[in-house]
Amino acid sequence: MNSLQRRLGLGLIAALLVVGLILLQASLWLFEAGLRRSMETDLREETEGLLVALVPGANGLQLDSQRLGPRYQRAFSGHYFRIDSDSHEWRSRSLWDSDLDWPTQDGLHPELVDGPQDQRLLVYRAAYRRGGQPLHISVAHDYTPILDSFQQVRLGGLTLLGVALLAFGLLQRLAVRTALRPLESARAQIAELQQGRRAQLDTHVPQELQPLVTQINHLLTQTDETLKRSRHAIGNLGHALKTPLAVLTGLLDSEALAAQPALRQQLEEQLGQIRQRVSRELSRARLAGEGQAGGGFDCAQELPALFATLAAIHRRDLKLDWQAPPDCHLPWEREDMLELLGNLLDNACKWAHSQVRLGIATLPDGYRLRVDDDGPGIPVDRRDTVCQRGARLDEGLEGHGLGLGIVADIISAWRGEWQLQASPLGGLRVEIRLSAVSPGR
Amino acid sequence: MRLLLVEDHVPLADQLLADLKRHGYAVDWLADGRDAEYQGASEPYDLVVLDLGLPGKPGLDVLRAWRARGLATPVLILTARDSWAERIDGLKAGADDYLTKPFHPEELLLRIQALLRRAHGLANQPLLATGGLELDEARQECRRDGQSIALTAGEFRLLRYFMLHPGQLLSKSQLAEHLYDGETERDSNVIEVLVNRLRGKLGREIIETRRGQGYRFGTRP
Repeated sequence: MNSLQRRLGLGLIAALLVVGLILLQASLWLFEAGLRRSMETDLREETEGLLVALVPGANGLQLDSQRLGPRYQRAFSGHYFRIDSDSHEWRSRSLWDSDLDWPTQDGLHPELVDGPQDQRLLVYRAAYRRGGQPLHISVAHDYTPILDSFQQVRLGGLTLLGVALLAFGLLQRLAVRTALRPLESARAQIAELQQGRRAQLDTHVPQELQPLVTQINHLLTQTDETLKRSRHAIGNLGHALKTPLAVLTGLLDSEALAAQPALRQQLEEQLGQIRQRVSRELSRARLAGEGQAGGGFDCAQELPALFATLAAIHRRDLKLDWQAPPDCHLPWEREDMLELLGNLLDNACKWAHSQVRLGIATLPDGYRLRVDDDGPGIPVDRRDTVCQRGARLDEGLEGHGLGLGIVADIISAWRGEWQLQASPLGGLRVEIRLSAVSPGR
Repeated sequence: MRLLLVEDHVPLADQLLADLKRHGYAVDWLADGRDAEYQGASEPYDLVVLDLGLPGKPGLDVLRAWRARGLATPVLILTARDSWAERIDGLKAGADDYLTKPFHPEELLLRIQALLRRAHGLANQPLLATGGLELDEARQECRRDGQSIALTAGEFRLLRYFMLHPGQLLSKSQLAEHLYDGETERDSNVIEVLVNRLRGKLGREIIETRRGQGYRFGTRP
């Protein structure tokens, strides 16, 4: 996933790792170089000591073992020497019966030499002259403990580096989170916007986010105003078209037309078609559609008013009730939702004998709306035709087909699904499934 | 029954006036919202038919102003604005019913009848029935024990008013106010004549005279 936090974290950790490793290795190299220089001095002094131990004896030079330190006596002590003269060769007792691959160059041998018992030896060779004959004195010193301690230092350094990386990672996470908190709150607000719990974004944000928030708010206001303006214009158009239609409908009852039944019937049919068409198209034009929820639909606030209106319009003793989860906000535009529920419930009220029920339930990915009535219902084989756009089921009951037509329009604009079923109350159940737009995390 | 019709579209208003008068209603017509707000609150109307898109003052504001003053007259909103959000706004503003244009004149008459009955506590009756009488408002005739009794327009109007106010003491001026529109000359003698004609057709005891006070439509067992 494309996360700012992750990107920043990876960058920081990679940089720290490279710098840390280079630093550790370089400091070890420098230290070792210094150490070898100092050991070279020690080894040279050692050769000088051995030179002193060579004393003239009966058969030329002799090694005075009294002058040798005990470390050259103990087997495999890690301190070895070899003295070559033209005629003689001395080896330290500590070498026992093994031999080394002694170097043939003077000075500190650049590489370590394998010694007995897996020892790694630092070897120094010096050339002298004693009593007129050339002498080569080589001294070897076990380097393994130093290698071991270097290994330890390296291990400790890596551990420290690891701990430092962890600490930096956590600190960076904290810093990024603090720095991005306004973004997080903007994200949460956009989620609320989509759920219809908020109409505008909060403008108290850092300077960097200000243009974004201002622009979004501006767009929201603009969309809202455009919707209001176009609804107002549609209202006016409806008024301008429907009032003359009402006059014409009234004229059908005039005495002049009563004498012309064929003409009257034709007029009535044509007027009916105009009325259907005008109502349908104007209702469709009013829809906000999928765009934005605006304030959303607050069930507890809107449903009582809707049911009071239904009760006033259908004044038979209908039992109307609704159920919704507490604090139920449907994330769709208020007027669209009222139009959907109003038409469905109105239709149910027209057919019901005594009872109409609305049930709203939350699903994992959205909402389920159910409108039940105890009317005659619709036979199974005709249910599909009703769900098709604008299908009219009963010409006799005015508004039935039209109401469900606009219902179909709204549901398809919201990409929902709907089904007609048999209701447990005995009549028709209209079940609608709407998936909520999930605000992507 | 005296109604106030507030509608700014003249052809529709003419048609409605003719229709309503033919069905025995006394109707006053206004086209401006400000006039309606004043007259609706000062004259004793039995019902108001109110358009929403009015010049002067929007219909919903007029309705809110009436309700804020405590005016309880039933109001039927007659409008082209047919979305559910607008219907709910209308009912919230204090309307008692909401009819959308275009409508059938028959539908409007039925709604007005039903609203008047409901306002007088007589809901859910197909016919207006009190005091052993049934009144068929569509045919403007009265029935008792299955027998039809023909009525003139004037008699029908008076009997309907009586039947909507059974057992109530109604003065002549009160009757005149509710049976005639604002432009008709009110002659209390006409009421007396009509009362006597109703007694002649329905029996003397149906309407009781309280001297100096008015009439009372009896509740015959």
